[in-house]
Amino acid sequence: MTTRNEITTDRTVDEGAGRTGGTSQLTLLGVPFLIGATVAVTLGVYGGLHEPTGVAVNVGGFSSPQTVKVWLATGVAVLAVTQLLSALSMWGKLGSLAPSWAALVHRWSGRLAFLLAVPVAIHCLYALGFATYDLRVVAHGLLGCFFFGAFTVKMLALPKPGLPGWALPVLGGTVFTALIALWFTSSFWYFTTIGVTL
Amino acid sequence: MKPTPLLTLLGGVTLGAVVLALSVHATGGNDEPPVPAAAPTATAVAGASAAPSPSPTQTPINATWAGRLTAGTLAISVQDGVAVAYLCDGAAIEAWLQGTAAGGRLDLAGRAGETLSGTFGEGQASGQIKIDDQVLPFTVTAVTAPSGLYRAAATVRGAQVDGGWIVLADGTQVGLVTVDGIAQPAPPLDTATGRVTVDGDVLTPTRPRELS
Repeated sequence: MTTRNEITTDRTVDEGAGRTGGTSQLTLLGVPFLIGATVAVTLGVYGGLHEPTGVAVNVGGFSSPQTVKVWLATGVAVLAVTQLLSALSMWGKLGSLAPSWAALVHRWSGRLAFLLAVPVAIHCLYALGFATYDLRVVAHGLLGCFFFGAFTVKMLALPKPGLPGWALPVLGGTVFTALIALWFTSSFWYFTTIGVTL
Repeated sequence: MKPTPLLTLLGGVTLGAVVLALSVHATGGNDEPPVPAAAPTATAVAGASAAPSPSPTQTPINATWAGRLTAGTLAISVQDGVAVAYLCDGAAIEAWLQGTAAGGRLDLAGRAGETLSGTFGEGQASGQIKIDDQVLPFTVTAVTAPSGLYRAAATVRGAQVDGGWIVLADGTQVGLVTVDGIAQPAPPLDTATGRVTVDGDVLTPTRPRELS
């Protein structure tokens, strides 16, 4: 464990992170992982067991609940790209482009993205459920459960002191990748199959 | 500063609970006017915004087709590419299927492995439905409100009530209501008010084509 720490932490900004030994690292990340896994599995089981109603609350100004979801998810995807760029900047990966407000942008774009994503997920789970009629919807359902689990892990791990240096980039990257894949299996499919409608 | 990620999570959970509660309210025991009143606006908006846009591959067809087959009555509803189908004999057999309607093709599946595939246009939909290893060809024609497909899912005094109704063009109805897993022929739906009385409780089934 110690060797691996030394190898991985040399790339991080926070050189003081993660040196209290293997056991405490396991507990540091173990509890968030367990809770995140519980979130993912719970969402999946609910989606599978709940009889989809086909109906949920609508938001005014859109032609159908689906278009609401498609545009909310697109908003989340745009914010996710903001997340990626602000994170790269915070970790010094954009060279000199590292403004002091990058962390603030990262924090608030993340909060907003999460709050936009929640109603989408509720509509998916409540009105549509876990469907298996083609590969796209299977992938979308699994990714959706995974995304909220991974996001929970990231959020619970974030404030912990002494995290290994790779933890946040890996967790954040995982959350970002899952979200973009979710967008491609839903909104992108909708735009290319049904059309771009409000 | 440090515990804010936890607050973010809790905020999301709270928002989720609110949206879920609103959704439950929207589907169960609501006192809203019958849905058909809202339907024309919903479809008109979709049509109006889709028509002038040059990018869609085709203008989406939002419609419901219904008709009798040998094994029962079938209704298929399509709204913005999502298709819902209901096959019901009014006595014991029923199946809900869900899937896609894109490029003139229907592709749906049900929970017990039922599949429906076919083609659709404005006037009719045809294809085949596979249920219990039986393959049934179908051709169903477009119907307009108040004919169509209705669905109710509600919890009434602790019992889970699920119902499905198909109202054909001539006004005849076929439906099943399942109360806590036991299926019974559905009581008639009042298409004027959109309401139905199940075991003494008034429900307002929704029409998947307008709402899902």
